[in-house]
Amino acid sequence: MFRLHDVSYAYGGNRAGVAALSHISLDVAQGEFRWLLGPSGAGKSSLLSILSLEVQASAGMVEILGVPVMQARRSNLARLRRRIGTVWQDFRLLPDLSVFDNVALPLRLQHRAEDEIAHEVHAIMKWVGLENRLDARPLQLSGGEQQRVAIARAVIYRPALLLADEPTNALDERQAGRLMAMFHRLAELGTTIVVATHNDAIVEKYPAPAIELAHGHMVRDYR
Amino acid sequence: MARRRYHDGLALHQALPGQFLPFLVAAMSFLAALALAGGIAAHNLSQRWTHGAGAVTTVQVPGPDDPAAGSGTRIAAVQDILTHAPGIVAAHRLSDAELRNLLAPWIEQTGDASLPLPAVIEVHTAAGQDPMSPLLSRLEAIAPGVMVEHDSIWSNRLAALAGSLQACALLAVLIVMTVAVCVVMAATRAGLQTRRQAIVLIHSLGAMDSYISGRFASRVGLLALVGGLGGSLAALPMLLAMSHLAAPFSAMTDAPVLAPVDWRDPRAWADIVPHALLWMLLALPPAAGITGWITTQLTVRAWLRRLP
Ligand SMILES: Nc1ncnc2c1ncn2[C@@H]1O[C@H](COP(=O)(O)OP(=O)(O)OP(=O)(O)O)[C@@H](O)[C@H]1O
Ligand SMILES: [Mg+2]
Repeated sequence: MFRLHDVSYAYGGNRAGVAALSHISLDVAQGEFRWLLGPSGAGKSSLLSILSLEVQASAGMVEILGVPVMQARRSNLARLRRRIGTVWQDFRLLPDLSVFDNVALPLRLQHRAEDEIAHEVHAIMKWVGLENRLDARPLQLSGGEQQRVAIARAVIYRPALLLADEPTNALDERQAGRLMAMFHRLAELGTTIVVATHNDAIVEKYPAPAIELAHGHMVRDYR
Repeated sequence: MARRRYHDGLALHQALPGQFLPFLVAAMSFLAALALAGGIAAHNLSQRWTHGAGAVTTVQVPGPDDPAAGSGTRIAAVQDILTHAPGIVAAHRLSDAELRNLLAPWIEQTGDASLPLPAVIEVHTAAGQDPMSPLLSRLEAIAPGVMVEHDSIWSNRLAALAGSLQACALLAVLIVMTVAVCVVMAATRAGLQTRRQAIVLIHSLGAMDSYISGRFASRVGLLALVGGLGGSLAALPMLLAMSHLAAPFSAMTDAPVLAPVDWRDPRAWADIVPHALLWMLLALPPAAGITGWITTQLTVRAWLRRLP
């Protein structure tokens, strides 16, 4: 599903840059759920941004859904991105679009029919419990509501690889539980899921194999 | 339903507002139209002056009354050749009075009225032809020392002048186009910067470079087309008026017409304005649109290369 071999990453280039990841090797199969753990600044978001194809690794080999990322053409990378869903730590909702349009965005970029889009958006927004806030702007929502919109946008196109960066940090316990149940269900359906968190309580409550980082190094990869 | 309207987050109406760019492109197109019109006018006038009807050649025959190589006087032999050569409309020998009139300033200076004068024949040649050159050796044979003087010095100078005017016009058009391309690039970059957040997001959601650059390019292409149209329309009355004034100089007929024109009749325009000029005005808006489209495509694609 995805493989990293000896991957390093430095912000601002290899030489003068800040080394965020060093010599990471990983192999995660289809349908697996993995926690991505480590203290703040450990490199969790950096690793997810390599997996979501937002940045290129500075060194090493990255293969995602069978595509060797370092050699792939730009158009193939764009196609690959459509199979990867990401919940960013900072949500990245577009403030000038309505909630509906934010969630519909990935489907619109795939040129789906509008009535199909409306159907999908209503279904997923009902699931996250925001079906009556479709016309609101993201900044009119609470942090937890924004996070649920971001989650809805990431899963609406049924990605093969789902990456979530602290997806529960703004949610209450009940919402977090619902989200974990959904992740479980998606993994059963074959989605590979990586969830970064430094919330130990939730990891204890929902035990699963974990990748642990510290100072950009992998300290553990246990199952 | 409003919310179901197509929204890909690029908000191009915000990124590339519809007033600034068309206005600038219109100004550029206007300047380009004027420069091109100047080039076309220079071309037409030089055509007329160098090849047009009324080109006059003077033939000087020294010792006109001396016997010619064959029989008769030199002047008679020369006139005989000239009147029978094809391409010569008229060959008129200037009378002594005409000649003295013509030469009065020099004769007065030397104070000698008994100076032997050569005979001078004014030859009018047909438009676009040079019938004189093949005759030169025959004329020289029967009347040694004969001098044939085209106004070719003048026509050469005029041709050179027209050539440099055309080069200036071309240079002006190139400069205007360069400036227009730079303006479009700057506007596009500013637009990309204002929508940076949205572009980065849809890029990471899997939007193709071609999709993003295509959206920007069609917007800019449309705005540039509108601007080009505005520039052409603004240049039209000016060029009509100028063509009207220039008509007597560039018309192929000798009659200097400055007849009143019915401006409401487009066919009357076509009579006054050189066709090349009308085509140029028609071609300008699509040229502006296509230039804007290509420039934006390249600018956006170069900008997107920064994203992995
Ligand atoms: N845009 C950036 N430019 C430069 N350095 C950065 C940038 N983003 C992160 N870093 C650095 O890279 C390292 C790893 O950061 P990263 O965001 O991956 O950590 P994290 O594990 O996600 O932390 P947190 O739990 O606080 O989100 C940190 O030292 C951070 O300072
Ligand atoms: Mg982080």
